Amino acid sequence: MKPAQFDYAAARSLDEAIGLLGEDAKPLAGGQSLVPLLNFRLARPELLVDINGLTELARLERSDGVLRIGALARQAALERSELVAAGWPLLSKAVRFVGHPQIRSRGTVGGSVAHADPAAELPVALAALDARFTAQSPRGRRTLQAGELFLGPLTTALAPDELLVEIEVPPPPEGAGSAFVEHARTHGDFAIAGAAAVVAPAEYAAVAVLGAGPVPVRAPAAERALSAGADPREAAALAASAVEEDHRRALIAELVRRAIEEATR
Amino acid sequence: MGAHAELTPGRFVGRPLPRREDERVLVGRSQFLDDFHPPGVAHLVFVRSPYAHARVISVRPPESAAGLVAVITARDLEGRARPLPIQTPEGAELADEPHPLLAAGEARYAGQPVAAVVAESRALAEDAAELVEVDYEELEPIADPGASDLDLMRWRRAGGDVDGAFASAAVVAGGRYAMPRLVAAPIETRGALASHDPAGELLTLWCSAQDTHRPLRHLAHVLDLPAERLRVLVPDVGGAFGSKGSLAPEAAIAAIAAIDVGRPVKWAEDRLENFLAAYQGRGMEADVELALDPDGRMLAVRARIRADLGAYLLPATPMPPHTAAMLMAGCYTIPAADVTVTGVRTNKVPTGPYRGAGRPEAAYFLERAVDDAARALAIDPAELRRRNLIADFPHRSPLGWTYDSGDYRRCLDLALELVRPRPGPVDDERLVGSGVAMYVERAGGSFEAARATLRPDGRVVIRSSTSPHGQGHGTTFAQIAAERLHVDPADVALEFGDSALVPGGTGTFASRSVAMGGSAIVRAVDQLREQCLQAAAPLLDAPEAAITWGKDGLTAGDGRTVVLRDLAAGGALETGARFESDLVFGSGAYAAVVEIERATGRLTVRRLAAVDDAGTIVNPLLSEGQVLGGAVQGLGQCLAEEATYDEQAQPTSASFADYSLLTAAEIPPIAAEFVESPSPLNPLGAKGIGEGGAIGTPAAVANAVADALGGCHVDPPFTEDKLWKAMHQ
Amino acid sequence: MRIAVDVNGERYDSEVEARTLLSDFIRHDLGLTGTKVGCEHGVCGACTVQLDGEPMRSCLMLAVQANGRSLRTIEGLAADGEHPLQRAFHERHALQCGFCTAGFLMSLEPFVRESREPSEAEIREALAGNLCRCTGYRGMVEAVGQAARGPGDG
Repeated sequence: MKPAQFDYAAARSLDEAIGLLGEDAKPLAGGQSLVPLLNFRLARPELLVDINGLTELARLERSDGVLRIGALARQAALERSELVAAGWPLLSKAVRFVGHPQIRSRGTVGGSVAHADPAAELPVALAALDARFTAQSPRGRRTLQAGELFLGPLTTALAPDELLVEIEVPPPPEGAGSAFVEHARTHGDFAIAGAAAVVAPAEYAAVAVLGAGPVPVRAPAAERALSAGADPREAAALAASAVEEDHRRALIAELVRRAIEEATR
Repeated sequence: MGAHAELTPGRFVGRPLPRREDERVLVGRSQFLDDFHPPGVAHLVFVRSPYAHARVISVRPPESAAGLVAVITARDLEGRARPLPIQTPEGAELADEPHPLLAAGEARYAGQPVAAVVAESRALAEDAAELVEVDYEELEPIADPGASDLDLMRWRRAGGDVDGAFASAAVVAGGRYAMPRLVAAPIETRGALASHDPAGELLTLWCSAQDTHRPLRHLAHVLDLPAERLRVLVPDVGGAFGSKGSLAPEAAIAAIAAIDVGRPVKWAEDRLENFLAAYQGRGMEADVELALDPDGRMLAVRARIRADLGAYLLPATPMPPHTAAMLMAGCYTIPAADVTVTGVRTNKVPTGPYRGAGRPEAAYFLERAVDDAARALAIDPAELRRRNLIADFPHRSPLGWTYDSGDYRRCLDLALELVRPRPGPVDDERLVGSGVAMYVERAGGSFEAARATLRPDGRVVIRSSTSPHGQGHGTTFAQIAAERLHVDPADVALEFGDSALVPGGTGTFASRSVAMGGSAIVRAVDQLREQCLQAAAPLLDAPEAAITWGKDGLTAGDGRTVVLRDLAAGGALETGARFESDLVFGSGAYAAVVEIERATGRLTVRRLAAVDDAGTIVNPLLSEGQVLGGAVQGLGQCLAEEATYDEQAQPTSASFADYSLLTAAEIPPIAAEFVESPSPLNPLGAKGIGEGGAIGTPAAVANAVADALGGCHVDPPFTEDKLWKAMHQ
Repeated sequence: MRIAVDVNGERYDSEVEARTLLSDFIRHDLGLTGTKVGCEHGVCGACTVQLDGEPMRSCLMLAVQANGRSLRTIEGLAADGEHPLQRAFHERHALQCGFCTAGFLMSLEPFVRESREPSEAEIREALAGNLCRCTGYRGMVEAVGQAARGPGDG
């Protein structure tokens, strides 16, 4: 399957990139989600704006305690980062489930977020960590939370001429443990369902679910219950209660339970 | 007739020699179909129906398009091409519904080729294909075979007093068992490169195929050309598993396009096309009833097999259901059987042979019924089998086929020993189950041929009518020839895959190459031995009877020796032989231990034991590779694989994102061993090992799953949601 | 669009269309057909090459993106077949049809270089990014273990 024809521009600055983006002009970062769509001719932009040269967007650093992930940071860089492993271990754990090393060597954190596949791991982990997503367009910068960004399967609030530039992740509470679990058909496959948990027992809990709906969802009832001292099984049942299909509900309850237990170990 | 082999294991036969084929691949010098770029080559793509069922009212090529060379429609083929010929199994009634090369008036499956576009590059051809305007009128598609009343195939055979057996039975057990359609999915997709030389009147076709013979025969039929005007070459082939056996309609179009445009034309199928248009495997369901006496002796089996054949008949579409039917008495001394096959038409791509090609279905249908019978009689499943295993050979089944040899009891005992089944459910979190399944399979048959040449430089060249696509025939056959000629396998060259060079044969499929191709080589090499002795006698001034073969050459009684090179000094010695035989019947026993997670329904196969009896094993390293590869395909069928369609008969698993092949991380420990019951039907005593893994694995895992679920039946793939629901109903 | 790419230590200057995939560029423009194409959607791994030393799917990159970069393909592994992985693959019967082999070798080369005594689970995970339909993977697991351990006592 060969892509339909398109024009190509390698942006040399963020402003240039944003100036070029639009309804028929899409950004090319890691390409791990976009190029398959091009190859299947499911995506047919007139212009591809290659942003891989915008190295200032690839930074991975902490400032004022907050992790700042440039949208262009490679998933492999997230995986290898000692900074992330020490301060945001949920991300280190979740990124290992993203495809395979050969995908992660090119795929970007921002790309995974902007593509918004409901079966993707990073959006769910970032949602669990209350990440904030900053995007830039000709109209300026704005910052969104997960609930505002992820609107539906493969759909975000980003406008066609808007580029995700940075993801800020506040530090989890001291002493909180974290875990990411998922079921997939085969190793590296997209998840059927999964769960991210950040828990400081009887103090703080964040639970995000993959596969309960078309976007990553937090489970506020489960989080309140855990903070009030409920056991993992009860909390997990709350997290899954809105899922209609019986097996999926049971699966999600089990995965959430495991995530909570692993996070509190 | 006693079981014996004329070729006893020695220096090479029976040895696990690594393959000489490997080097080229490991350094990046393999040559598969799409690696060829003849000068001037043009590229072929297809306009394919987006609808599962539609009238094709008109097809309008674009006035012009960048790089466009030609557009071919069904109208252009009228009077110059016929559909591919259909193989009719004996006793089968087939509808006259061959797959048209290009849809004429009606498209019957999503992905069916409607028009062909030739352009300067693949990308430009895809661009131009989008500009072809096709007017479709959508029609109602049939996705569910149960909803179809259009039969493409019927077959029935019965033997023994089936009604009487059922009337007198103490127990009748069985059920409805189904295997969904699967995609063969070799990592190299299909392809063909055609080139026409009008001066020499020769049409050359390179084809990613399982052999040269069927593409040549099919192309000759389609174009109504004599074989002498065709040459088929098979390069390196990246797996086939049955899916590259018949000539693809697209390949026939490539040949026609090459004639029309006067340039080589290449069709390099892409993955999406392969998912849409390559014939699929399995897709059968059976109602099986087993009649037994109070001691568990099997009295009769009835099976009604329904096959979802898809929209048309391709050459080998009728074969897998027929093969499934013929094996429905399995390894057992059942005196009576009645089997019917109905192949129904649906609006899907046709089915055809895929590794096992009816044998896995038969093993699954019968072995599930045997386990259900064991449960009904409260007899241990292995014990029930033991009470009914065939022990005397040759054995004629009630369906009329003769099994040549086997040691079924030994296979069963060994499989159980290897898998070490553990009793019963163990803890709150998991259900544990173990299961065993036997199989018998038909292999070999028809004929193959070989030519053996001793060249003046002393090298032996074998030309075989079979064609490898990963099995390692180059090594295996060299071992066979080297053994007989007392040379080193390195001094034996193998040539395959060129219809101009190799003798005619039947093909590489149905696990037949060693039994048939190997035996043809034995015959040709034996004739070469004769010629060598005849040539040596005057050189050694000794009678033939006094000459002995050894690793130093041919030696006379007085110690004088000639080497092979000397014998061909005056000119190459050449022989040719054809080997023909009845079908040989391999067998085996597989066993599995599985766990099902109660909370989620997730299945883990803990251990798999694979015992195969393929007669004489020429190269155990390669044979084990075949078993493991087949077993992993069988596991894929159990864990993840299913070709799915929606209610509009639209394929919904047409990429690797949706159709998951197993990775190395999903594979459990597999213990594989061989039992060798040589076949009396060929000089090697060989049967066939290519498919056993795919045949035994699904049945064994299915029985283990049913055991874990306390007898509840689930069809493969054993996905979480299905097992969870089975546990919670 | 003009690009300059270093492949296996040799510089190539070429003209490519924007939409030309790196896999097709390597195979058809450069004639290095050792790299194979199995799916063009990034799942099978047959097209795996090394970009600046890192294994990646060449079917998911545009040729233009390789401008100024350095690639290694199977032809650049060891032309004499003496790389420990090549030898081990041969000895352990880790290939049958051979179509997936180049992709596996390019994925595995860094793994065996960096690992000493990988566990079977680690090896299987390292293999999981490439698909093989023929072998069932066992020969590969053994081959990787052998190559990682290296000659001597490892």
